[in-house]
Amino acid sequence: MADLLQTIETSLAVGALYALIALGYTMVYGILQFINFAHSDIVVLGAWFSYRMSQQLLPRLGVDPHSPPWWAGGVVLVLAMGLCAAVGFCIERACYKPLRHSPRLNVLITAIGVSLLLQNVGQLPVVFGTQPARMPSLLPDRELFSVTFASPPAAGAEPAPAAEPRRVVIRLVDSVIFVTAGVLMVLLELLVYHTRLGTAMRAVSFRTETAALMGINVDRIISWTFLIGAALAAAAGFLFAMKYPGLNQPAHTTWVLLGLKAFVAAVIGGIGNVRGAVLGGFVIAFVEQFGAFYISSNYRDLYVFALLILMLLVRPTGLLGTNVQQKV
Amino acid sequence: MQSPSPPQVELSQVEREALALAVTESRCATCLRSGTPLLTGLALAAAVQVLVPRLAGDYAARICLDAGIAVILAVSLNIVNGLAGQFSLGHAGFLAVGGYTAGMISYYGSLWLWGSGGVHGGWFGAGQALFLVACLAGGGVGAAVGYLMGLPTLRLRGDYLAIVTLGFGEIIRVLFQQTQPVLRTAEQFRAAGWEQFVPPPVGGSLGFSGIPKYTNNFWVYAFVTITLIVAHRLKFSSAGRNLISIREDEVAALAMGVHVTRWKVRAFVIAAFFAGIAGGLFAHESGIILSPRDAGFQRSIELVIMVVLGGKGSISGVVLAAALLASLPELLRDFDQYRMIAYAVLLIGMMLVRPQGLFGSREVWDLWRRRPQPVVAGKGAA
Amino acid sequence: MNGPPAPRPLLHISGLSLSFGGLAAVQNFSLQLPPRGLYGLIGPNGAGKTTVFNLLTGIYAPDRGTIELEGVSLAARPPHRIAAAGIARTFQNIRLFGELSVVENVQLACALRSRQHLVATLLRTPAALARERAIQQRSLELLALFDLQGRAHEAAQGLPYGHQRKLEIVRALATEPKVLLLDEPAAGMNPQEKRELAATIRHIRDAFHVAILLIDHDMGLVMDVCEQITVLDHGETIASGPPEQIQNDPQVIEAYLGTGD
Repeated sequence: MADLLQTIETSLAVGALYALIALGYTMVYGILQFINFAHSDIVVLGAWFSYRMSQQLLPRLGVDPHSPPWWAGGVVLVLAMGLCAAVGFCIERACYKPLRHSPRLNVLITAIGVSLLLQNVGQLPVVFGTQPARMPSLLPDRELFSVTFASPPAAGAEPAPAAEPRRVVIRLVDSVIFVTAGVLMVLLELLVYHTRLGTAMRAVSFRTETAALMGINVDRIISWTFLIGAALAAAAGFLFAMKYPGLNQPAHTTWVLLGLKAFVAAVIGGIGNVRGAVLGGFVIAFVEQFGAFYISSNYRDLYVFALLILMLLVRPTGLLGTNVQQKV
Repeated sequence: MQSPSPPQVELSQVEREALALAVTESRCATCLRSGTPLLTGLALAAAVQVLVPRLAGDYAARICLDAGIAVILAVSLNIVNGLAGQFSLGHAGFLAVGGYTAGMISYYGSLWLWGSGGVHGGWFGAGQALFLVACLAGGGVGAAVGYLMGLPTLRLRGDYLAIVTLGFGEIIRVLFQQTQPVLRTAEQFRAAGWEQFVPPPVGGSLGFSGIPKYTNNFWVYAFVTITLIVAHRLKFSSAGRNLISIREDEVAALAMGVHVTRWKVRAFVIAAFFAGIAGGLFAHESGIILSPRDAGFQRSIELVIMVVLGGKGSISGVVLAAALLASLPELLRDFDQYRMIAYAVLLIGMMLVRPQGLFGSREVWDLWRRRPQPVVAGKGAA
Repeated sequence: MNGPPAPRPLLHISGLSLSFGGLAAVQNFSLQLPPRGLYGLIGPNGAGKTTVFNLLTGIYAPDRGTIELEGVSLAARPPHRIAAAGIARTFQNIRLFGELSVVENVQLACALRSRQHLVATLLRTPAALARERAIQQRSLELLALFDLQGRAHEAAQGLPYGHQRKLEIVRALATEPKVLLLDEPAAGMNPQEKRELAATIRHIRDAFHVAILLIDHDMGLVMDVCEQITVLDHGETIASGPPEQIQNDPQVIEAYLGTGD
């Protein structure tokens, strides 16, 4: 019981991270129909920017990064989001915009190129280097509260040999991740469904040419999409660094896998669908965490991809996706 | 038409003409023509093996070896990416599968047969034979994995396929990391129970060291020759047209009766076969320790860059690009830090400026001469 | 054309229906196409004509209804098997294989009737070579029949528009079909070209022994060449019969002149 609850607690936090990243994939895919390969590198950028800022910027503000005040994390988060949004914007303008009318595969290859560029520029010693770093904990590593379970009262069976009390711990970090991600997702939801910009985005995603004829500045909408997606990715990077302070170097496979899983989340939720991405994020987090806990954590990456392949075979449009017939 | 005869037996017009043509051909001449490229290639491979170290030194021979393996990988990937237009990002996965399979066969085969894992026998000795079998088995297992992997995923649209194949490569990498330590001696090998073979004993994340180093320029270029012949014959035949039609317009290809999924899977399997063989050669190359990293994303990307640079479907273009990119890092060792950055810029720049690659889908020699114009004229021109 | 005893239909379509979401694209479409019949399918934009073709060629799966070619049901078959069974089509928005040459486009289609084996191709056996050459020869002959042999080795995407339309027809014929579906073959042609096209269509029917189902917007062309015409509007069949009858059908006139819309 305690294990179950603890796994659920972790899954919720990790799922929120996946969901934040998946949102960026799904928004770009919804509008431009291509997989923004470089999206996971924006997450990396977000995490490393956060690290750099808490190392170098916070001391200048007179803050000790090892016992920071409560607002330090917020400042770092906002700054990282802003920086990454700017990077996302520039990438779109420089690399994707000229290819607006090229075959999708070309844009995909370009995106791979951008991803490779970000990874390897990040590895240069003047940027982030090739060594892992340790993110200072901007939040005290506190247990918010914990529930203690007595030895599990097995129904009718003999008592378990090792009947130590199990505790379920709700960590501050996890709840901050969950709440921050939740707030951002609600904001995005409001933006997409209740503002003019959101309406324009949905129009462009539905049919670009028609939207352009209706007087929507398509280029501007696409730029906004990248901006927002990159900002969310940066937030995910920051939160990831809070949860797992040991930051790997920018080209490490953990980052690639993180991005891949978030993309899988977007596909499972129904790519192009904002709510689907959130749902997909939690679904794969649960699959991964439960698989890791109850089967074997060595193969945790396998469960997610098995789920992806299963999903694509059974319901290729994803959980919330709508079936779009190919026009012939 | 003649309705009573069952339609299955009725020969199509094309088949009838083919039969008529086949009768007039001299079989000997065609067989000879069909075998010549292979023989020439083997002779050239022997020449590379013998002459390059003498004329240009061992270092050049080593670069030749790397370039040859890269050519096999890139040309086989080009069958999937270039001809059939299916964007695969998991090609290195097949390299690793083939490499580990071949390595296991030759290493444990040597332990079992000769009691040691080292190189056995001289030129065309028993060790070389075992090595050849191991490489072919690597190709076979690669092809089998390609089939299992391609069947469900090749129904997916292009960019999904890219992600799934990328995930596949990563899965292969993770799986190889979970393997057990290599058994070092013949005694260990004989004493080992089945549980020491179930995640196979290929070294886990440390890599599979101790594989006997049989690879030389002759074998590499012999397989380069076979790869090139297969790629060329595929491209300039009805099989290749089927693949290209899928790349150009899948719906139209279906409407013309092309079994799209089957051809995609075939392209995938052929490509995986050669990647597996390349893996076998790579695993037996001296100075190389096969490790799970070889299945990963980075290596697949390098192969994709070769294909993109060479031109989708252009065999000679991809050969040039592969040879160039494989030997550059050796020559520019000091700039290794900037190599991947240069690749990235190259990739983006190509897409912005010349997305069809250096040679498009044409071959290098098309730049000098046009295609021959057949003189056959219609007999029943209306 | 074939006289009163009403030959057994070659293509028998009945009750074909398909809807996208809530929108009924095709409702209860039925048609009997006799051997060597030359039938027309007309209707305003968005009436569901091309959808009928997509259903017949297996690109969409029908919600209901049956398609039988020579008594064999095709309804659940994938597109490539329908092509093999003998239904070939052209596309409204030309879909040639742009980077293949003109003759290669035809060769690809020709290969459907050739029993080429992949291993034989890779080994270049004499039989495989003979097959390849027979395919090429046959393709060049077909191109010659349509005066395209001069451009056989150009890339298909470089052909002028009219030639591309023609090449699509040649490519479809190269699959040796029993039924040929032509989707707006006259689109973008001038009156002179349309007259020539009408002659070509009749010639194809007679020379290749195919039944033809023709979609076009051009009433003149359809009335001129077709023996029977079916009119679709909003997915529904509103009239069906010989051209004279269709011309005077009040519902058809309404659909085209649009009193209701």
